[in-house]
Amino acid sequence: MPVGEHVGEVVPWEGPESGAPIGVPLVDLLDRVLATGVVVSGDLVLAIAEVPLVRLSLNALLSSVNERVAAPWGDGGPL
Amino acid sequence: MTRTVEQPGPRQPLRTETSAAVATYVFAVCRGGDPAAVAGLPGQAPGTPVRLLRFGSLEAVVQDVPAAEFDAENLRERLADRAELERCARAHHSVIAAMAGSAPTLPLPLATLYLGDERARVALRADERRFLAVLKRITGRVEWGVKVYARPEAKQEPDRSAEAAGAPGSGAPGSGAAGSGARSGRAYLERVRGARQDRERRQQAGLAAAEAVDRALRGIAVASRRLRTHETTLTGERGVQLLNAAYLVAEGDEHDVAAAVREVRRSPACRSVEVEVTGPWVPYSFVDGSFVDGGEPDARG
Repeated sequence: MPVGEHVGEVVPWEGPESGAPIGVPLVDLLDRVLATGVVVSGDLVLAIAEVPLVRLSLNALLSSVNERVAAPWGDGGPL
Repeated sequence: MTRTVEQPGPRQPLRTETSAAVATYVFAVCRGGDPAAVAGLPGQAPGTPVRLLRFGSLEAVVQDVPAAEFDAENLRERLADRAELERCARAHHSVIAAMAGSAPTLPLPLATLYLGDERARVALRADERRFLAVLKRITGRVEWGVKVYARPEAKQEPDRSAEAAGAPGSGAPGSGAAGSGARSGRAYLERVRGARQDRERRQQAGLAAAEAVDRALRGIAVASRRLRTHETTLTGERGVQLLNAAYLVAEGDEHDVAAAVREVRRSPACRSVEVEVTGPWVPYSFVDGSFVDGGEPDARG
């Protein structure tokens, strides 16, 4: 798979060739590995793709960024 | 999202049905994958190889993992820890990305586990037809992520300091400064109103910009999907996220993506926003059916 550099402005990330796509932003990665993907029925898909765990995970992510990032537009809120 | 996942019951530990200490973790499904593409990767259990498990005409990319570490209880706990979550997510992704480099690959969500190869094979086999249909759709295509942020305003706080400084005097009746108090009160209200109108204008402009970006990208995509926008706590100083979308684009069309993004960035509609692109991704967002081919975006709650 080609690497983002070709496009110039994209967030660059090391391709699979490097074995470690370190540059993939974690939030974008979580969007995908937690909330997308082909879901199969089976004995142990767990509750992982379901809301509670995803929320739990995002909470973990949030709690790590919360302290150092002040919310801009404090009174405007998310659109 | 509406998806139903059959489960044996909440929190049922992995070992209730078997005494095996090993579970089969499934990363992805592919067709004609090269085992060498993933053989050296650590996956979710460093030390045991990531391998291919054949079922029907396809293969699953799997790994043996210690069942005890991957039962519902333990997983929940581990994935609530940020560092562990990141490690698991990146390990999952790097196997998928590596395999996608060698063959059309359908990613499975993080942590899909079976009680051994045989059970995995039976379950996956039941979905073979669906996998084939999705593989057909994503073969030769990649996903691009596009996010739009409202550019944070240059410090234009409606003058809190002046207001605070004026407060003690203007608030006290009969203090002798009634005239200036009334004046500053009116000025204050005007400032507040102005700030609100300003904000509303910016919001309108931001949403219009996000639509313009989405339209431009949909013009070159074969399918598109709206992902949930990130909360401001996650976006930080980048500003409010107005759009978080994924586009399925033919492999090799990255120049078109770049051109579309360049063009829309230059358009007057997008003066107040930042456009961020990530990719190419394995088409994660286009394998589970909850997206729309071609034009219409698919809002997700």
